[in-house]
Amino acid sequence: MALRGFGGGSGPRRDPFRRRLLILTVGTLTVFLVLLGQLWYLQVLEGARLRDLSERNRIRVRPAAAPRGILFDKNGLALVDNRPAFTLSLIPREMENRDTVLARLSVLLRIPLGELMESLARVPPDSFMPVRMRRGLTMEEVAKVEEWKLELPGVVVEVEPQRVYPSPRLGAHLLGYVREVSEEQMRQGRHRRGDMAGQSGLERLLDEYLRGRDGGEEIEVDASGRPVRVVRRQEPRPGAHVVTTLDRRIQEVVERAMGNHAGAVVVLDARSGDILALTSAPAFELDHFTGALGRAAWLRLVRDPQAPLLNRAIQSQYAPGSVFKIVVAAAALQEGTITPFDRLRCAPTFQLGTRTFKNWDDTDWGELDLYRAMVRSCNTYFYQLGLKVGLEPIARYARAFGLGAPTGVALAGEKAGLVPAPRSRSRAGDTVNVSIGQGPLLVTPLQVARMMGAVATGGILWKPRLVQRVEAADGRLLYSEPSQMSGYVDLSPAVWAFLQRSLWGVVNDGGTGAAARLPGIEVAGKTGTAQLITNSDARRGQDHAWFAAYAPAQDPQVVVVVLVERGGRGGQAAAPIARQILHGIFLERVAASALRG
Amino acid sequence: MFKVDRRLLQNVDWLLLATALALVALGLVTLWSLSPGRHGSGAVWRQLSWLGLGLLALVAVASVDYRNLARAAPAFYVIGIGLLLSLYVFGRTVSGARRWLPLGPVTLQPAELFKLIFIVTLAWALTARWANPPARATLAAALSLLVVPFVLVVRQPDLGTALVLLPVFFALLFGAGVRLRELGWLGLAGLAGAPLAWLVLRDYQRERLLVFLDPFRDPLGSAYNVIQSKIAIGSGQLLGKGIAGATQSRLAFLPERHTDFIFAVFAEMWGFVGALLLLAAYAFLILRGFEIAGAAREPLGRLLALGVTALLGAQTLINMGMVMGLLPIVGIPLPLMSYGGSSLVVTLMALGLLLSVRMRQSL
Repeated sequence: MALRGFGGGSGPRRDPFRRRLLILTVGTLTVFLVLLGQLWYLQVLEGARLRDLSERNRIRVRPAAAPRGILFDKNGLALVDNRPAFTLSLIPREMENRDTVLARLSVLLRIPLGELMESLARVPPDSFMPVRMRRGLTMEEVAKVEEWKLELPGVVVEVEPQRVYPSPRLGAHLLGYVREVSEEQMRQGRHRRGDMAGQSGLERLLDEYLRGRDGGEEIEVDASGRPVRVVRRQEPRPGAHVVTTLDRRIQEVVERAMGNHAGAVVVLDARSGDILALTSAPAFELDHFTGALGRAAWLRLVRDPQAPLLNRAIQSQYAPGSVFKIVVAAAALQEGTITPFDRLRCAPTFQLGTRTFKNWDDTDWGELDLYRAMVRSCNTYFYQLGLKVGLEPIARYARAFGLGAPTGVALAGEKAGLVPAPRSRSRAGDTVNVSIGQGPLLVTPLQVARMMGAVATGGILWKPRLVQRVEAADGRLLYSEPSQMSGYVDLSPAVWAFLQRSLWGVVNDGGTGAAARLPGIEVAGKTGTAQLITNSDARRGQDHAWFAAYAPAQDPQVVVVVLVERGGRGGQAAAPIARQILHGIFLERVAASALRG
Repeated sequence: MFKVDRRLLQNVDWLLLATALALVALGLVTLWSLSPGRHGSGAVWRQLSWLGLGLLALVAVASVDYRNLARAAPAFYVIGIGLLLSLYVFGRTVSGARRWLPLGPVTLQPAELFKLIFIVTLAWALTARWANPPARATLAAALSLLVVPFVLVVRQPDLGTALVLLPVFFALLFGAGVRLRELGWLGLAGLAGAPLAWLVLRDYQRERLLVFLDPFRDPLGSAYNVIQSKIAIGSGQLLGKGIAGATQSRLAFLPERHTDFIFAVFAEMWGFVGALLLLAAYAFLILRGFEIAGAAREPLGRLLALGVTALLGAQTLINMGMVMGLLPIVGIPLPLMSYGGSSLVVTLMALGLLLSVRMRQSL
């Protein structure tokens, strides 16, 4: 041990090896401290964030859309249903080469590339949540995607419940369409992107009930994306079922009867105010909205001059024409201005000062009583009667019959119509016009139907009911609506009896509504022709045709109101449609009477 | 040769041995927890049998006088180089690297064994013609002892094992009293050779180095390992997720979780507190190694103890550094804990050498 540097003594100071060992020890400890610092940084300072990342690594959320509730008619027939449909979705995180995949997809399914890019632009690129691209793929398209699966990473076809309609236009305005939520609806926070929501009609009104609650699964996956186990599962809760007051059979009859006409039909149950059928023509096709409605198709629908999206039964306001004579007659009789025995001249023209008002034909019918004037719908008679009654009482009775105010039906966008203000300064010319349902007077077909219901029942104004009840999928009652009276027209029974008899006469006693006459069932009704332009000519089809009826006359069950836009005369254009509808409703009775001979 | 001397037994460092065995046990538990049940226990049993073999080797190495071992160093060195060369003929290729030599039912990683041979040979070379500081000729000899195996191992390719030879080499030279200036020149020469090394590197090795410089170069590719490893460690937070909750490890988001990244598994399961204790255990081992080197009275024992400690320390620190994202990913297992027979047996043999020096310090 005589070697230099390793000799006796101890302690690093005297032994260079130990000194150097000390340096190595300090160096080692320093590195350990650095490691410790990094551990502290990762596990304590960044721990929460990295824990979150590890959760996101292992958990995939797979949403499951809840089927929308089903709408039934009063007899339990489905008006809309659901069926499984294919939805094309993209999972951004799994798309290795986004642009290539999108380009391939665009060519394969003929979807504009811009549309795909746009839908993806709003979601983070590392999201595992599928983004819906297009709904309602055809089998052929699904087959194409499956065939190219390997070339299309991140492209998936999901199966989701989708609305299906027994016939695409049936009750289109009533039921309403379902469409992906708009940006604005999403901002309200109750929807997620790509959710379907009712956008009009009952689908919109009852969306909260119909929507149900989407479920889903949280799945733990391993590094290669294989599912290991389901961490949490929430079954989708199907939407509630809605039982409406509609009668699908009558609705079908009504829509068939309207054919290619533009206009509206309302069928009410006279005994309850239930809406049995309601249509607005032209209609739109509901299933256009559910699948992939392109921008072009949408614009075509919105810009269509026929306005197919408009629900004419509640949103269009028309002059009531001669249908309004019911109100004028009621006012005159109840106020005692006239009795059924008094007669007035029914000449071809009526002279007021310098102005000439015409009847609708050139025949001089001589002196008529009120019954005949109603049956013949004589304008010149009613000009004189109106002037005798005065504008203010006529307006008062019009309001009593529910005109000039919304009916309160459970549909959005109902119009109130127009009735001259109570104490407005009236000019005689206005009064003359109002007497035959022209001038400052506007009604909706639904208001007219409600008014006819009052005549049929002797005064009851129903609140038109569309929804009977809403039931959860397990049968629990969530909501129910009894049939409600919203007003009562207080006329003497004699006046009601007179009105009812004269409406019977319009159809059955040589009146203007003879075209609505049916064997086996007595129909009561009133025709109307709403002039659009002064001095327009109904024969050239410039006027709106009305026919408002109830049946059977002695025991009213249904009210039917038909409006044909630019149909011409009510008796010629609207009454035959009403007849066809009533025929459909009372099929057995009509058939039975035919058998009797 | 195997005559048991009472004084030898008195000087066995039981605490060192116990700490090392505790770390092996922790490694086994971690291994088992990665895939509990019958299916995964295969690895545990295999590792246990390697442990048995390793303990036998430890006892064997410890019972031989290290001075006798050093005398046989040239022979060992030649055999070691021969084994490395034989890989080019008999080597089994696993994922692109020829590191394994099939020996009957098992495979051997000659490079692992060579680390030990390298320490013994270098210590022998530095002390055979002893001078402090060593003569230039000695230095040149030492350098050539390094270069040949280094190139052979890098070409396997096994960058990690080759790199570990460097700190061992410098630690031994440093301990042998080489002047700092000369060490500095050697270091500079090494740095100057680095661009040459770049040419020798395989593509994936280059990629790893680049990724270390810019982790988000390829987050799902080469950088995936280190990102997932950081997530695993960090998500353990203060107290860990426990065995069942360690999703990063158990769902295989963490790569190489049985071997190189086993520290991340442990840190995910037991959190900062567990990792701190683990770090303390390794620090204790290394400091104890330095202490043994310092306590030895003659150069060969000192340098052997220092070399073994440097090997252990360098592997531990580099492994943890790369798992925590402080160093580039170079495949270096964590001594004692990582799954792998060669590594465990060689580490235990190295500890045997350390124990041997300690046992004979007062002879």
